[in-house]
Amino acid sequence: MAEQYLDCLGEACPVPLVKTQNAIKDMAVGDVLVVGIDHTCAMKNVPDWARGQGYNVEIEEVGEGEWEVVIEKTC
Amino acid sequence: MEKKRENYDVVVIGGGAGGMTSALYAGRARLKTLLIEKSLIGGLATYTSEIENYPGFPEGIDGTELMKLFDKQFRKFGVDVKLTDVKSVEKEGSAWKVSTFRTDYIAKAVIVSTGGRPRMTGAENEETFRDKGISFCATCDAARYTGKKVLVIGSGDAAIEEGMFLTRFCSEVWVSVVHDEGIMDANEVAREKALKNEKMHFIWNTGVDSYEGDEILRRVNLKNLKTGEIIPVDVDGCFLFIGYLPNTKIFENLLELDSRGYIVTNENMETSQVGIFAAGDVRSKALRQVSTAVGDGAVAGYMAERYIAEVEVIENDILNKDRTLVYFYNASENEDRTLLTRLELFSKEKGVDLTVIDCYKSDKIRKVLGGAETPSLSYYEKGKVVAESSLREKSDFSFLEGII
Repeated sequence: MAEQYLDCLGEACPVPLVKTQNAIKDMAVGDVLVVGIDHTCAMKNVPDWARGQGYNVEIEEVGEGEWEVVIEKTC
Repeated sequence: MEKKRENYDVVVIGGGAGGMTSALYAGRARLKTLLIEKSLIGGLATYTSEIENYPGFPEGIDGTELMKLFDKQFRKFGVDVKLTDVKSVEKEGSAWKVSTFRTDYIAKAVIVSTGGRPRMTGAENEETFRDKGISFCATCDAARYTGKKVLVIGSGDAAIEEGMFLTRFCSEVWVSVVHDEGIMDANEVAREKALKNEKMHFIWNTGVDSYEGDEILRRVNLKNLKTGEIIPVDVDGCFLFIGYLPNTKIFENLLELDSRGYIVTNENMETSQVGIFAAGDVRSKALRQVSTAVGDGAVAGYMAERYIAEVEVIENDILNKDRTLVYFYNASENEDRTLLTRLELFSKEKGVDLTVIDCYKSDKIRKVLGGAETPSLSYYEKGKVVAESSLREKSDFSFLEGII
């Protein structure tokens, strides 16, 4: 089960979401993607999309206005 | 990915008004506290644009704004926050294990404030048009339908009152009611006002069959429950007010729930499991408001603090000792007190410690330890029960002969 980091810091919507979708497409079930974001709108649409797919999602605030969205591809 | 383990005094599940208040009280009592929220902090109150009945804000306040203030306040007390879904809560020793997909949090006390969600009809295409024409909050979305035609589903207080609110904005408000003509679940005052309202039109004996549209909802097909006839209603929006469901799925086999799935507690917010408390909308109660959630949260946070102090007594006075007798009694009972005097002599004679637990005010420690009903005596060695007996029928200590 691999873990992969996707740097979306400094990127505005919808770039983080599109990058996340593309990255996850090539991943295997059970793999984990960590997306680094600092744009508040991505903090909503990236987790919303991932939950909608049925994936496990956890958001961690790693610094002031900076988050890591941890997504486990479950299906 | 290896699962992490982290220890906390208190884990609060749910980041609405009740959860944030619980976390505030726990954090302020200097307990190591974690709040877990599955999506965004703020809870159901953020769906209300104007809260007029939360004291302290005489001009009214936007729900999201109010929740931001709550958020700022509880974080001041050093509470950790995790935004993720809780998968399960299980007993682990005298503590509770709260699991998310990446971490197991071991907590001495857990406060459940998971709230609820609006009930859906389950009709065809409902998920497709959720937030694309299907709405659950008139206060939030009414302005979007200014001069338009909307359909309300339901006939309870929420449906009729929110429906009347919608008539201030919309050109037409149609209401689908499952009952016969003239019958509604709403209170009498609301019912009469609604029947007189010229913009309100009722479609009796109906429920939703399916939803239709393109990018957004265009039509709701109602079904006459008596004749089976399909009645297409072209609309710009549809509001569902058919009740509310508590988020208690993961607690079904753990906590006592009422017939509608809400968590049953006593007035101290204690659930059927020692060490688990509940606060806010998820609790079985009469009134669900920000103000009542705040009250619940304060009590739950305080009771969790008291409970943890009691658990510490257990650990320091009983489980960490080489050997000790534990006497559970009711200090208000004469006979129990006489027994205590005899026991004090007995323990001195045997040269073993005696820990006395008064269960008159709170029976919790006895329950956590699993001791028999008062008066009873247990003998512990290195944190484990070696012998125990009720002293209710027979008040002699002979069962300890040869053991101590």
